Amino acid sequence: MKRIYRYPARILPALLLSLVGYIPHSMAAVETFTDEASGLLSWKAQHPGFSLQFIQLLPDYIRAIYSARGLSPKVVELMAGYCMFGTIIKNESGEPLAYRVADWRYITADGQAHPVKTKTQWLAEWEDMGVAFRWSLLPDDQQFAPGDWSQGFTTLPLARDTVFKLKYQWTQQGEIHEGIFEELRCAPAEAPDV
Amino acid sequence: MFNRCLALILVLCAPFGLLHAELPSPELSHELNRLKTPVAAPDFSLEDLDGEQQALNDYRGKVIMLNFWATWCPPCRREIPSMESIYQDLADKGFVVLGINEFETPDHVFAYTGQLSVFPNFPILFDLDSKVAELYGVKGLPTTLLINKQGQVVYRAAGGRDFDHPEVRAIVSELLAEEDGGN
Repeated sequence: MKRIYRYPARILPALLLSLVGYIPHSMAAVETFTDEASGLLSWKAQHPGFSLQFIQLLPDYIRAIYSARGLSPKVVELMAGYCMFGTIIKNESGEPLAYRVADWRYITADGQAHPVKTKTQWLAEWEDMGVAFRWSLLPDDQQFAPGDWSQGFTTLPLARDTVFKLKYQWTQQGEIHEGIFEELRCAPAEAPDV
Repeated sequence: MFNRCLALILVLCAPFGLLHAELPSPELSHELNRLKTPVAAPDFSLEDLDGEQQALNDYRGKVIMLNFWATWCPPCRREIPSMESIYQDLADKGFVVLGINEFETPDHVFAYTGQLSVFPNFPILFDLDSKVAELYGVKGLPTTLLINKQGQVVYRAAGGRDFDHPEVRAIVSELLAEEDGGN
């Protein structure tokens, strides 16, 4: 696993602003990893007591997961058509922590911010398509006690290899924190040559 | 012939390896979170691997670990050996683990458990429509609950855990040492 460290230039201003009680973007060390076996990328934002990871998922992986759950080919192809990431959220603090996917935004190259599709929205669509399966997607919102963590898929209606930013939020000790991935990239159609 | 078989195996396995290699495996934590207010564990009845119905109430008076899981969930797979270990050590003291599988068939799970390095001997029950998960407010897999002898949910953990950790064992032993309140 290769690591690339990126410490955003906003760390110092954020530190100064945090001293006056406002944290626009909490300090984060964002690491980019390249999986040596698959060539796929993942990113990890490490904040004090909170971490968030996005992992590229190939369309074939999505097909395999949903086909094996008995979803119809139509639904499987619908899901495989999305830009999908494995997402891991961890409470590494000694205090409760909460997040809501509805608060997150992805920002496309034109500068537009878009809401991230939630599990509840997916389940409503799946129900209309006769799908009873309710797992695999990142839960909409969770209250994490110390040590709690969760993983699930995050879906974005973007084309293969699209580069975008993602703003995320969480609440820790009653305070809203924000972070941003400056450069996430949707998985390619097939595994890159390694 | 041997080479041809080997080539076929490699062709079949290579994409699987590629597809799964990208998923990292975060370390399992061991914290269990005590609920400020214990809540009564609702009863349910589900089929086990043998097709027999098992109800939660069948185990009242024991300390019960309810673990919601699925075979496709990486941390679920990783915590099975630690669950089996604590179950083996404390089963004769009144501790039971119930693995509540979500949305998978007994045939699928049976085939899966046969491939594990540690075979789970605790009961596996099948929540085919996820109604029990809904009943317990489970949002993600794995989620684990500890139910005391009085039938109250007293601990909860979201995400994979190392149940063989001394702190988890101490919590379970403490619950086992409690009186059952005459239930």
